[in-house]
Amino acid sequence: MAKVPRNFRLLEELEKGEKGIGDGSCSYGLEDSDDIMMSHWNGTIIGPGHTVHENRIYSLKITCSEAYPDAPPSVQFLSRVNLPFVSQTNGVVDRARLPVLANWTRASSLETVLVDIRKEMASPNNRKLPQPPEGTMFE
Amino acid sequence: MSLPKASPPHLRRAFVAVHRLTIVISETERLVADPVPGITAAPHDDNLRYFDVTIQGPDGSPFQQGVFKLELFLPEEYPMAPPKVRFLTKIYHPNIDKLGRICLDILKDKWSPALQIRTVLLSIQALLSAPNPDDPLAPDVAKHYKENEADAHRVSREWTQLYASK
Repeated sequence: MAKVPRNFRLLEELEKGEKGIGDGSCSYGLEDSDDIMMSHWNGTIIGPGHTVHENRIYSLKITCSEAYPDAPPSVQFLSRVNLPFVSQTNGVVDRARLPVLANWTRASSLETVLVDIRKEMASPNNRKLPQPPEGTMFE
Repeated sequence: MSLPKASPPHLRRAFVAVHRLTIVISETERLVADPVPGITAAPHDDNLRYFDVTIQGPDGSPFQQGVFKLELFLPEEYPMAPPKVRFLTKIYHPNIDKLGRICLDILKDKWSPALQIRTVLLSIQALLSAPNPDDPLAPDVAKHYKENEADAHRVSREWTQLYASK
């Protein structure tokens, strides 16, 4: 199979993100529209219903290195959130504790990262975790 | 090259894949043996479908004296599907956007398997000589080109000096 190079892969993801993914509960886009290397992305997750996250909007920062998509992106919550795989000091997502990052393959994408995080929010272990006040941000 | 009609599907697929790769390799050999003036294209060592490209700005255009870097990728379906190309060097042109994406019909609906990497790169070079502000990808640049072409050319020349000098 032809191996799609990083930049063309990210262009495809950008176009998909611009059209809107899934039911709109997750979205992403470039931080700067003229970031020619497409390294810095914003992500948004709308908290899943029937959980402590319901109606909350979470902002994240996603960084794609030179090695993407052979290597997973780095993910960091900007909005405060209490989840076992998120550092409570700076919001950084622990790669080893989030399945989509721990088991990363070239078939994974920015979309699957956000969708997987949202799924984790709704999991039986996490859905009722006490949360910081709505709208607060990591420093 | 052809396979008997009754060949099993997995054999046919393998045959098609090998045939398409042969086209990629023979085109690459021809590009090296008989280069296009003002254009270079070199495949990556670890990906024969991924090329580093440079295009010289055509004489008489605001991009004259500039050398523009591009990247080109031949998808699995090539030559049934067009190559993917974008500029890595910033350029002030109505048909090229901030991420270097190019608005050119042969890269989209006007693609034909009879076209080649060579023709694609020549068409991009021609697009630098003949911008088409009526089919813009960068609306603000296109507006500038339509309302005050001389001033737009000045900015294109400035960007060429800033970002595309040798």
